Order: sequence, then structure tokens, then C-alpha cells
Amino acid sequence: MLASFEIREPDYGVLSPAAWPRLIIIILGALSVIYLLQSIGMPKQDQEVAPRKTIGEFILYWRNVIAVFTIFGLYLSALPYLGMLIGNILFSFILMTVLGGWNAVLMHLMVAFGASGGMWLLFTYVLEVFLPRGSLTGL
Amino acid sequence: MDIFLEALLNIIDPVTLIYMVIGVGAGLMAGSIPGFTIAMAIVLTLPFTFSMPPAQGLATMISVLVGGLSGGLMSGILTGIPGTPSSVATTFDGFPMARNGEPGLALGIGVWSSFCGGIISAALLVLFAPQLAMVGLEFQPWDFFMLVMFALTVTASLAGEHLVKGLIAGAAGLFIRTVGEDEAVGVGRFDFGSDYLLTGFDFIAVLIGLFAFSQLLSDLRNPVTARNALSDRKQVKVKIEHRRAIGILLKNWVVVIRSALIGMFTGILPGAGGSIANILAYDQAKKAAKDDANFGKGDPRGIIAPETSNNAVEGGALTPLMALGIPGDITAAIMLGALLMHDIVPGPTFIKDEPALAYSIYIAFFLASFIMIGMQSGVLRVFVLVTRIKTYVLATVILAFATIGVFALHNSIEDIWTLFFFGILGFVMRQFGFPLAPMILGVVLGNIAELNLARALAIDADPMLFFVRPWSLFFAIVAVFSMIFPVYQKHRDTGSLLERFFSPLVLFSLSLPLFMMGGFLRTTLAVAAIAMSGFILWRRFGSKSKA
Repeated sequence: MLASFEIREPDYGVLSPAAWPRLIIIILGALSVIYLLQSIGMPKQDQEVAPRKTIGEFILYWRNVIAVFTIFGLYLSALPYLGMLIGNILFSFILMTVLGGWNAVLMHLMVAFGASGGMWLLFTYVLEVFLPRGSLTGL
Repeated sequence: MDIFLEALLNIIDPVTLIYMVIGVGAGLMAGSIPGFTIAMAIVLTLPFTFSMPPAQGLATMISVLVGGLSGGLMSGILTGIPGTPSSVATTFDGFPMARNGEPGLALGIGVWSSFCGGIISAALLVLFAPQLAMVGLEFQPWDFFMLVMFALTVTASLAGEHLVKGLIAGAAGLFIRTVGEDEAVGVGRFDFGSDYLLTGFDFIAVLIGLFAFSQLLSDLRNPVTARNALSDRKQVKVKIEHRRAIGILLKNWVVVIRSALIGMFTGILPGAGGSIANILAYDQAKKAAKDDANFGKGDPRGIIAPETSNNAVEGGALTPLMALGIPGDITAAIMLGALLMHDIVPGPTFIKDEPALAYSIYIAFFLASFIMIGMQSGVLRVFVLVTRIKTYVLATVILAFATIGVFALHNSIEDIWTLFFFGILGFVMRQFGFPLAPMILGVVLGNIAELNLARALAIDADPMLFFVRPWSLFFAIVAVFSMIFPVYQKHRDTGSLLERFFSPLVLFSLSLPLFMMGGFLRTTLAVAAIAMSGFILWRRFGSKSKA
């Protein structure tokens, strides 16, 4: 809401550029209050999304999701340095190994190289999309 | 005729045909894998179509759609797990029939029912879209604004008891679309000094994040099931029994027609898609059957009804998209994205202004249904192979694929960050039970709503015009009643005042704008609505007082 007051007001046009987002924010606010009141009145068992006894249990329950978030975030941060080809191979291999374990590491390596390499070839040579090259790898 | 030929040449171009075959195959596969929805397949196809001419891109997406709608039956019939929510009811009789030793017949009935549903709805699309577009020419900015509000409230109301969550999701979708330059005067909003935010979030990256990324995260949440494959089957030796299946369908042509009409009508309603249509059609087939003892044990009608209706849905969903520019469901919303990507804005004049493209859509819809029939047997073998891949491997590859696809939209790494951010948002919303469909419609329709609001106020600043113009009043009434509908459903069979007065009140209220519109047909409809309203009240109260 505060950010909507920083929107520049032009001298032309009937509807201010801030009016529509402000209207939505007011509606969202009102709906959130209704939702909050509904949640307070709701039976406790309906409110449970995941076990929340300790931080350890929380992490254990969501470990795969946390792993995907973390690895994807790191991959995106490293993308300008590694490039799409190397970045995608590393991302696929690490994610599969974290999610599936070290038992099938050879298969993960093959899938990471095969799928990422295949996609890179498809986009670069068939669809003619220039995928980002890494400043460190040059690929 | 020249336009039809031009459209036909667009579609039967060898490159387009190859893309359509690949599209149908990909759709069949995506539809057959539980957890990987049709919308996800379509949204992932979108970046590929960027470099294609519009007709070719749309034909490819329609092929994925038709394939996806038909793919769900394979896993539903063979494993008992529906490939998509659109084929839940198919498992009720399809799986028992397969277990009774007739998987080939069950698949045959499913495949040909899908084909009939697709063809009937394509024919109805050709018939109705131009008519609806003529009605749409009457719409002014006030009416378009209210139409968008109606689409959002109807979609939110499908969340049932969680109506507030649906409305929050819809409003959040509208808000997401306000980031960047505003549509009316071009002033930057919520950009916080960032050039990327000034151009606004790329809405395709938002859609892929909200829908595909969040879905993959949900599939991976459980570490045990993430390491499982869908099936341990080494191979499936099933021969689809086409001839017997066609015979059964011809014998049950009434079920086919009824289910196709149910699917078509459900598709036209914003937000309601195949997941509702297949259950509705199954229920109606069971209620209409003289002998329903075999339902649930492998009755052919129990496969015909859901499979015909879920394929007919898309003809319905494309009708308001082509006629009014308002998508009927998520997949149609993504199609709208594809059109906008090529600077084509669908609306009431779309069919008139872009006839070749409109005809290309019709032809692609018909042709894709035929390609689907031809490919079903071949894909069945690949399906068995794919179901042996572990979920985490499949999800990782799709995630990597989505990432490259999103980058390819504008060669921008920021778009991948958008995908990531909205993937997290979509996942959190899913976990807390917020429906994503209203949010996606909000994102897609947000600028249309704002632009029409600005236009309406520029013509006349009186806000009352939103409630006194016939069409905008009509949509406002339907929007209000669609919000009350979940409460009405909760109070059914309780004898409450709401239950008694809901239907008569809806009919009576709708008669008002119909009267205001004038003309013979609409006045007759208004009179009929009032008569029906009176009749319902008489039945409820008149019969009670007699008793």
C-alpha cells in the first residue's frame, strides 16, 4: 500500500495509475481479515499443514523441497559464471543425487549429461536460441 | 473459401504436421503420467511456439491439449490411477473392465469416446464461437470489466468452502499484473528502481512458476514417493479393440451426445474444466441408465461419459476465448498467452479480423483428434517405459527443461528468477489450500480489467454505469450469485431460506437485465425466467401448503 503512494501521478488520464492497484490492495486486505477471522474460528485439526513440533522435524518433513529451493537458487546465482550447459548438467546431477541418493550416481550422471546436453543442442541448433555462456567456462 | 484454404494450407504444411504429431505424442505422455497435468504440458510448450508463426504455434499447443485430454485414460484404465483430474471418473469403470480381462476394449472405448468428444466440441466451437462473438460486439468497456470480474468470482467459487481463499488468489493474480508500466498511461508502478520490474513480470514465466514449478515441488515433497516409479510393469501386451469399441459407442450414441454437451457447457463456464465435467457426465450417465447395476464394475457407459465430456471441455473453453477474449479455463488462458505473445489480442472482432487464424484453430482441433487416434497404440508402449522412470528423475529433467524454456522467451536470466519466485509462491499456496486457477486467471486478465476500467471512466466517470448497463448488470448479478453459490450448496437439503429462494432469486434477478436488453428473444427469455422462478416457488410453497 505504501509503495502505491510512490507512483507518479500524471496530468492526463481519468484513472490514476495508483487507483487500480490500491483498489486491489484494499480488497485483498478485507479478504485477508475475513480469512483470518475464519481461521480463528476453524477447528484445530484443519489448520495443520505439516508437523511443527521442532525445527528438526520441520526440516526433515520439507527436506526435499528445501533441497530443490537451495540448489535451484545456487544454480541461478552461478548461471552467469557457469553458463546454461555446464550449469544445467551440474544442477540436474546434484539435484538427482540429493533427492535419489548416491546408489544410482552413475545413472544420475548419464541422465544429467544426456538430458541437459540434448536440450542444449535442441535449443541452440534447432530452435536457434542463444543460451547464456558462462564467464568462467566459456560454454 | 479462400480463407479456409489459406488456413488449411497453414495446418497441412509438413513442418506444422510434424509439430502436431510431436505435440499429440507429448500431450498423450503428459496426460498419462499422474502428477503431470495437461496445463503443465501446455505451459511448457509455450516457449517453443515463440519462434513459430501464430497458426503453427497454436496448432502445436492444440495438439498437446488434445493429446493430454486423451492421455489420462491410459493410466486410469491400466493402473487405476488417473493421469489427470479430468479422467478420475474413467477409472470407476475403466479399471474394473481392464481387470476383468478386457483392457483392450476399455482402452478402445476410452480412445474413441475421446475422439467423439473432441470432434463434437470442435463442430460446436465452429458453430457457436462466431455467434457469441456477435453478442460480444455489443459489449462496451463497462461490460468487459464486469465480465472479467464474473470470470474471477466464478473461478473462485469453484473452490467451494474455500471461497475466500479463491477470491484472495484471484485478487493476488490481479495485483501481480499491476507491477510495471500501467496499461492506460504508461506510468511505472512497484518497480523499486529495477528495469526488469518496470517492464513487469513476464506472465508466461509467472504461469510456468505458479503451475509447473509448484506442481513439481509438490510431487517431490515426500522423499519416499519421490524415489518411486509410477509402475513396476515391465511391459503391457494390450491390443486396442477399435472395431468392438466403435460398435459399443454407436449403440450408446445418446450417452456420447449428452456427455459432449455437458463437457462443452462446463468448458464455456470460466474456471470449470475437465475435472468437473467428467464427474458430472458420469453421474448423469448413471442416473439416466435404466439398468445401472453394472456401473462401477466395468460398464462401457462409465467410460464413454467421462472420456467424451473431458475432451469436449476444450471446445467449450476455446469458445469464449475466441469470441470474447476471455479464457474458459487454465489451458485456454495459456492459449491466450500464446496469442498475446504474437501480438494478437482475441476479442469479439478476432474471428472477423483474423479469420485465417480462427479457421486454423478449428482445423487443428479436428486434425489433432485424428492424429490422437492414430498415435494412441504407439504411445501406449512408451507410456509403460515412462512409468518406470523414478519421479525425482522425471521432475528434475522437466525442471531443467522449464528453465531453458523460460530463458528462451526473452533471453533473460531475470525471467528464470521470476519462475523461481512464483514457483515458491505457488507451492506455498498449494500447501495452504489456495486454488491456483483464480490466480492464473487474475494474472492473465488483470490488464484487460484495468484497461476497460480506465476506458469506461474516460467515457463517463459515473461508476453507477457498471450496474445499470444491461450486460454489465447481467455479469454483476451472476458474479454475486456465484459467490453465494458455495454457501447455498452447504445449505442444500436443510430446508433453509437460502435453499428455498436461491434458484428463483437467480432467475428473477437475471430477467431484469434481459428485459433491459430488449428484442424478441431476450424479452422472451426474461419472461421465461420469471415464469420458471414463479413455478419453482409454487412447487416449494404451494405443494407444502396442500400437504
